[in-house]
Amino acid sequence: MEKQKWILPYVNQYRRLFVLSLFLGALTILLGGALMFTSGYLISKSATRPESILMVYVPIVGVRAFGMGRAVFSYVERLSSHSLILRILSSMRVKLYNLVEPQVLSLHSAFRTGDVLGLLANDIEVLQNFYLRTLFPAIASLIIYTVIIISAGLFSIPFAILLAVFIGILLFVGPTVSLVYVKTNNESIKKGRNQLYQQFTDGIIGISDWIFSGNHSKFINNYIKKEEDLYLIESKKQNFVSWRDMINQLVVGTCVVASIAWAGGLSESGETSPVFIAAISLAMLSLLESFLPLSGEISEITTYQDALDRLEKIGKRPSNELNKMAAYPLPNTNNLLLELENLTFGYQQEKILLDGITATVKQGEKIALIGRSGSGKSTLLKLIQGHLQPTAGAVRLGGQNVVKNSLDMTKWMSVLNQKPYLFNTSLMNNIRLGNPEASDEEVYQVCKLVQLDDMINHLSNGYETNMQEAGQRFSGGEQQRIALARVLLQNTPIVLLDEPTVGLDPITEIKLLKTIFETLKDKTIIWVTHHLVGVEHLDRILLLDHGVFSLEGSHQSLMKLEEKYRRLYQLDHPF
Amino acid sequence: MDRALFTLKGIKPVLWKIGIITVLQSALIILQAYTLAEAISSLFRGDLLSSVFKNLALYLCALMFRQFFVVIKNNSAYHFAAQISDALRKSLVQKLFQLGPQYAGEEGTGQTVTLVMDGILKFRKYVELIMIKTINMLIIPMGIVIYSFWFHPRSAVILVAVMPILIAFMVLLGYAAKNKADQQFHSYQMLANHFIDSLRGLETLKYLGLSKQHVRNIKRVSENYRQATISTLKIAFLSTLAMDFFTMLSIATVAVFLGLGLINGSIQLAQALTILILAPEYFLPLREFGADYHATLDGKNAGKKMEAILMEKSLLQAKEEVPEWCPAREFSLQGVNVQFSDQQTAGLKEITFKVTGAKKIGIIGESGAGKSTLIKLLSGFIAPVCGEFQVNGKRISTLSAQDWQKQITYIPQKPYIFTDTILNNICFYHPEATEYEVSEAVKNAGLMELVQSFPNGLDTLIGEGGRSLSGGQEQRIAIARAFLAKRPIIMLDEPTAHLDIETEVELKDTMLRLFDSKLVFFATHRLHWMLDMDEIIVLDNGRIVETGTHSELMNKASAYYQLISAQKGEC
Repeated sequence: MEKQKWILPYVNQYRRLFVLSLFLGALTILLGGALMFTSGYLISKSATRPESILMVYVPIVGVRAFGMGRAVFSYVERLSSHSLILRILSSMRVKLYNLVEPQVLSLHSAFRTGDVLGLLANDIEVLQNFYLRTLFPAIASLIIYTVIIISAGLFSIPFAILLAVFIGILLFVGPTVSLVYVKTNNESIKKGRNQLYQQFTDGIIGISDWIFSGNHSKFINNYIKKEEDLYLIESKKQNFVSWRDMINQLVVGTCVVASIAWAGGLSESGETSPVFIAAISLAMLSLLESFLPLSGEISEITTYQDALDRLEKIGKRPSNELNKMAAYPLPNTNNLLLELENLTFGYQQEKILLDGITATVKQGEKIALIGRSGSGKSTLLKLIQGHLQPTAGAVRLGGQNVVKNSLDMTKWMSVLNQKPYLFNTSLMNNIRLGNPEASDEEVYQVCKLVQLDDMINHLSNGYETNMQEAGQRFSGGEQQRIALARVLLQNTPIVLLDEPTVGLDPITEIKLLKTIFETLKDKTIIWVTHHLVGVEHLDRILLLDHGVFSLEGSHQSLMKLEEKYRRLYQLDHPF
Repeated sequence: MDRALFTLKGIKPVLWKIGIITVLQSALIILQAYTLAEAISSLFRGDLLSSVFKNLALYLCALMFRQFFVVIKNNSAYHFAAQISDALRKSLVQKLFQLGPQYAGEEGTGQTVTLVMDGILKFRKYVELIMIKTINMLIIPMGIVIYSFWFHPRSAVILVAVMPILIAFMVLLGYAAKNKADQQFHSYQMLANHFIDSLRGLETLKYLGLSKQHVRNIKRVSENYRQATISTLKIAFLSTLAMDFFTMLSIATVAVFLGLGLINGSIQLAQALTILILAPEYFLPLREFGADYHATLDGKNAGKKMEAILMEKSLLQAKEEVPEWCPAREFSLQGVNVQFSDQQTAGLKEITFKVTGAKKIGIIGESGAGKSTLIKLLSGFIAPVCGEFQVNGKRISTLSAQDWQKQITYIPQKPYIFTDTILNNICFYHPEATEYEVSEAVKNAGLMELVQSFPNGLDTLIGEGGRSLSGGQEQRIAIARAFLAKRPIIMLDEPTAHLDIETEVELKDTMLRLFDSKLVFFATHRLHWMLDMDEIIVLDNGRIVETGTHSELMNKASAYYQLISAQKGEC
């Protein structure tokens, strides 16, 4: 059963709160019944014209107490169930985080990782509704059901059985039929809607092209037509729901009639006083109404399925990443050697991405790694950091296999990538992430190095500016500089640059590169890039093609010896 | 109910219909209560079960017809809302196309799609709910009060008196909750988004070596979030508490007064019971209205937003004859200005130039100088504030004319690849192309090898959900499309900016072949293209500062020269 992992453990973990919420939920409904019961009793008793009002004093107090009690308990119940849900959400977040954290770097980059993870976070919020709208009411209804059947059973077993059957229709048959019918319906609505979403998004992205093509009325008509088709399916569901609710109402009416008949029978035979006829029927009327929403709530279970499935999948993903072993300390040396030895890797067995790469990088060396998109440049960086297990061969840092040291790797290597993430907190906090122990002075220092100090001092909140509010205002170049400041604080001997200038205009790019190489001049740099701006000052250039380095050498020697390299370089430096 | 709703076409008959049904429904609610009360009181008097059979049957009949009316009412509101939103959707989508890419670009694609697809559904729900719930609230309680007043004025007075108190409390508490929520909105938002923020930035945390210990922050923030939420909910739920409290209290009070009335004989049991059964029904419409209030608010806001879009000024016009462009002709702009409503985006100023024949025009300038804006202007996606266009001596009031736009092929940074086969993607501009024409275009665009590598060839599905293509391959699809369309004008906006250099080298020859004997406008940062241009327009701050060929401009050693030096990092 798939639900076990994301639902049952939490029910178990928060047993007591769970029971409390259910108890309060059931109590609220029962108090509503009790109010009507006492009211019915009160006026029936009054109709016998007792001599004194004192004869009905107890029920008078009762109706008030039950009435107010119901309101108050319903309030407390809502608070306690929400409090429970929020606790469960907290635990789910931690669980999801712990599941995702080890595998985040091996999630395939075909889709944007950040977006996928954002979706998962939303899925957890969706599950909240499952608890509040489906699970709690369903269980509370079961409790009420049991209470009604048992109380009826105390007086008459056949009547209890009759009620069990009738209410069973509301509680079991209605929801089941509804679930089966609505499920297929919901699925086709969802499928249709997703397709339409896709199609319409496509259309809006390509709006210029549609206008140029002169065919946009075709697109519009097609879209409208599909919406209409979808509406027909939705109408079917709407129709079903209307009639289902009507039948449920009739079942409630029948139960009430049956209760009256039964209570009338009891009083006729003298088993109970006639004052209970009104009490019992009114109480039934009130209690049975609590079952009415159930069919609708249960049948919407299907809408939570997607969220559950996605969460399940993330738990089941076979991770390319390894279980970390105890970390060996690396020799603290100023002469840190990075060696790639016959390094071979493929995400799938049959498709080799890197095919036996061998290279040595000395401390302080600056290397550019170029190649087409998809040639494996970024994968190579992940292997170097020890986040992936090579199929064959090894990466060694200071003579030790990086895979075994990956816990410690962030002390030796830092990364500046294409889209550095800036967290929704102050600028100061964002930069200090590089080294949480850094003093304010040190942060100011690195900001000066990356030439951000002027810009920051001009902000009205300075270093306390929040990223989210200002996020739109920081240009791509500035965002990279903030990330660079972070990397400087991290202060590792090796820095990996993963296309940090993609998407920047050429002038910003060249300035940023200048700052990067100035501030990192003592470090070992491995720079993945997709073109040849700024490569002149590097020690070595490696061109990755079909899993091997097809060109290798300094800029000067490649210019001299390699026609292909000259042609590429020409494109970036035409005159 | 919102006044704007009354302006919806055809709403009045629907409102009348729902109103009349609701009156009938109220009568049935009273009948239902009455028959039930009759049956109970007659049993109470000691009558035989068989004698109340008629009343119980009547009760079930009344119940059935009442629910039947509910179904009819719901259905007619549902269909009316659907009809209204269908019409709205149609005009909204048409409007989006009339506004052109500029609007969707400013609003964001995601936002626009969500507004049209989800917004209309919400609006539909709003129209559907608000009609029924409002009419219910107006008619049903009134019917019940009139009935109660007839038999037991005291009960009626209690019911009527409690309503304004109840509404006042709900409104007051609603405001209190809103205030509370507003007060801590910022910290609240921060807490709420912390988890998503953490997951989105997880990769970065990992690189920083902080990902393991960050779980503690998640726990802590989640806990703070829970506390903040609960303290807001404590107030937010108060309005429901007030509603429950007063409802229950007034039912209890009615019951007590009915009891007193019975003791002193001023009312019969059957009537007292009827009123008691009716009391909860009296409050039901208000409770339902309150429960759906927030859902309807969303729909109402979506409706307003859509209304605002429909009020925007349209850009595209179908009626304007523009002469067909051919190599011997002339195209000119005179004193064209473009201004954006937000001051941050630079517009264009005093744009004047003239092109004769099939020329390749490079457009260059720093980022923010107005390159893309110029391309959009020439494509007719931005309306100029002033200035004029001429094609072959004929003055044209706007470039947003279908006659002009259908002569243009457009190749942006990320070409439009929609979810369909390669064939349909290539035939986009020219759906009637023959097989031979298509295969020529595929060959010319250098796509043959790729197409042949797929088992389904041209019928291979691409786009979202299909085979994913690399950036270079997507550009080739766009180029094949352009080869096939054979349109005389090509607009390019940074088509190679995001490509790796090897791919760009391979694409260059193909693109140059495509440009042959066409009028080409090519905005780019990539300088090497300038050598292949017949003329270069240099933009700075929205103005044309220089025009000429590469060597002319280099010799001038002015703006163009400086731009190049800056790009080389030499200044």
